[in-house]
Amino acid sequence: MQDLLYFFQQLINGLTIGSTYALIAIGYTMVYGIIGMINFAHGEIYMIGAYTALIAITGLAALGIAWLPVILIVALVCAMIVSSSMGWAVERVAYRPVRGRHRLIPLISAIGMSIFLQNYVHLAQGSRNIGFPALIEGGFRFGSADSFQTSISYMQITIFITTLVCMTLLSLFISRSRIGRACRAVSQDLGMANLLGIDTNRIISATFIIGAALAAVAGLFLGMYYGSIDPLFGFIAGLKAFTAAVLGGIGSIPGAMLGGLILGVAESMTSGYLSGEYKDVVSFGLLILILLFKPTGLLGKPEVEKI
Amino acid sequence: MKTSVKKLVTAVSASVALMGAGHAAAEIKIGIAGPVTGPVAQYGDMQFSGARMAIERINADGGVNGEMLEAVEVDDVCDPKQAVTVANRLVNDGVRFVVGHLCSSSTQPASDIYEDEGILMVTPASTSPDITERGYELVFRTIGLDSMQGPVAGNHISSLNPERVAIVHDKQQYGEGIATAVRDTLKDAGVEVALFEGITAGDKDFSSLVTKLKQADVDYVYYGGYHPELGLILRQARQADLDAIFMGPEGVGNKDINTIAGDAAEGLLVTLPPAFDEKAENQDLVKAFQDKGEDPSGPFVLTSYTAVQLIAEGIEQAGSTEPFDVAAALRSASFNTPIGTVEYDEKGDMKSFEFVVYEWHSDGSKTPVN
Repeated sequence: MQDLLYFFQQLINGLTIGSTYALIAIGYTMVYGIIGMINFAHGEIYMIGAYTALIAITGLAALGIAWLPVILIVALVCAMIVSSSMGWAVERVAYRPVRGRHRLIPLISAIGMSIFLQNYVHLAQGSRNIGFPALIEGGFRFGSADSFQTSISYMQITIFITTLVCMTLLSLFISRSRIGRACRAVSQDLGMANLLGIDTNRIISATFIIGAALAAVAGLFLGMYYGSIDPLFGFIAGLKAFTAAVLGGIGSIPGAMLGGLILGVAESMTSGYLSGEYKDVVSFGLLILILLFKPTGLLGKPEVEKI
Repeated sequence: MKTSVKKLVTAVSASVALMGAGHAAAEIKIGIAGPVTGPVAQYGDMQFSGARMAIERINADGGVNGEMLEAVEVDDVCDPKQAVTVANRLVNDGVRFVVGHLCSSSTQPASDIYEDEGILMVTPASTSPDITERGYELVFRTIGLDSMQGPVAGNHISSLNPERVAIVHDKQQYGEGIATAVRDTLKDAGVEVALFEGITAGDKDFSSLVTKLKQADVDYVYYGGYHPELGLILRQARQADLDAIFMGPEGVGNKDINTIAGDAAEGLLVTLPPAFDEKAENQDLVKAFQDKGEDPSGPFVLTSYTAVQLIAEGIEQAGSTEPFDVAAALRSASFNTPIGTVEYDEKGDMKSFEFVVYEWHSDGSKTPVN
C-alpha cells in the first residue's frame, strides 16, 4: 500500500511537470511544423512570461487587490500579451529577414535571439532568483496520517487542468477555425498556400503568437508552482520542452503533449526510484532511443518530401 | 616629412614609456574576481564591498609603502570557464595580486593560471580542500575548509540524536565536497545516512526528491550547495508536509533564501563563520560600511576585507611587490585582522578557523545555536 502511494505520488509529480513541458513544447512544434525551423528563443519567451506575470501580481498586490481570480486572470492576460508581442517581434526581427535561406541561418539567428533576451532580462531584472508568491495553496491527501501520504496540491490540479484546456482549445482551433485551416495549409506547402491567396506572413506570425501565449501560461503556473524565477530558467525548461517535442514527433501537437508527459514521468520516476543524478541521463537516453528506432518521434508523420 | 614622422613616433613612444613608468610607481593593482552577475551574485556583492572598503581605507591611510592600491574588478559568474577567461585578463592587465575567486569550482582552474604566472591569490570564500592540496606557493585563503565545516555540521546533527538523515548535494565541487565530509562525520558517529543523493544545480522541480525524502522518513536533511536550490527544496518540502529539519553550509546562509522559501526558511540550520561584524574591535569598520549604506554582516564581506589587508601587509613586510616574497612574508608572520589573528601553514590554509551553527529565521535574521 505504501509503495503504491509512493508510486502515485511520483506519477503525479511527473504528470504535473510533464504537462508544463507540453505547454512549452507546443511553441517549438508549431513553429517547426510550419516553417521547419527550431525557435531556440522560445524558452526565453516563457521566462519573460513568468517575469511579466510576477510584475503584474506584485503590481496588483501594491494596489491592494487580493481576490485570487482577479489576480490570476490579470497576471495571465498581461503575461500572454507581453509574451505574444515578444514572440511576434522576435519573428519579425530575427526570423523573417532570413526565412528561406539555408537552414542554419535562422537557427543561428534563433540562438542569438535567445542569448539576447536572456541577457536583456539579466540587466532589466537582475540576475538573482526572485521569489514567486504561491497563490494557490493546500491540496488533497490520501493515506493514513502516520505513514506515507500521497498529496495532490490544488496547484498541481490547476496546472494539469489548464494544460488540458489549452490543448483542447488549440486542437479545436487548428482543426476548426479559418486561421487553423490556413495553418495546416501553410505547414503542408508554404509556397503553394501563398499562391492560393493565404497571407502566409500573417499565418506564421499567428503561429508565433499562439506558441508564445501558451508559453506565458506555463510561465505563470510554473513560477507559482516552483516558487522562484531567474533569467536562466527559460533556457533549461526550453531544452526539456524541445526534447519533449522531438520525443513526441516534432510538428505534431498531440505529440508534444504525449512527449511532455512521457518526459515528465520518466524524470520523476528516475529520481524517485533510481537517483536524481540519473534524471537527465534517462530522459535524454530515451530521446536517443526513440530517435534511433523512430526518427520522426512517437506521433510524427514521416516527412513528405519538403523542400 | 620622413624625419617628422620619426620624431613623432619617438615622442609618442617616449611619452608612453614615461606614462607607463609613472603609473607603475604609483599603483599596485589588486584584481577582484568574483560573480557580479549570475545566480550567486549576492555573494559577489559581499566580496566586492569588502575588498573595495579595504582598498579605500588603505589608500586613505597613505597606501602601501607609499603606493596606492587600485582595484581591477572582473566578473567570473561563478562559472569555471568564465573564471579562466577573467584570470587571463588579469594576467594581461599586469595584475600581480588577486582577491578571489568565490566559488571553489572557479577558484580551482583560475588558481592554476595565477600560480603559473606568478600571481598571488587570496580567496575569501572558496572552502574546497583541493584548492590548497596541490602544493601551490601563491594560493591563500581567508576562510576555513569544507573539511572543517563538514565535521561541525555533522557533529551538530549527531548531537541531536537523529534517527535517519538524508544528505543531498548539487554535484558541484563545493556542495558535494562538504556533503561528503558531513556523511563521513555522521558515519563515524554511527548515525544512519538513509540517502546520499545529487541534484542538478539550476533545476526548479524537486517534487520527486521531496517525495523520496518523505518516503525515507528522515528527520534531518543536510544540503550541500547554494541557496537557490535549497530555497526551492524547502518551499516544496513545506508544501508536501515534509517535517524534517534542514541544514546547510554558509553557501545557503543569506537573505535571498527567504525571498525564495518564505516561511519555510524558519528553523533552517546553517554553519557560518562567526559573526565578525559583531566583534567589539570591528565596530569602527562596521560603522564605515554602514556609512556607505552597505551591510557588513554577510559571510564574505570581512573575509574579503581581510584578504586585501593581508596582501597589503604582506607587501609592507616583504618590502617588495614580488608575489613570491609576499607569499613568504604571509607564511612567516601572524597578522591581526578583522577576522581574528591569521597565521598560515605551508599549504596556504589558515591554521585555525572557526565555524558556528546558526538557526535561520523567516525574516532573514539568525541566532546562534547552543
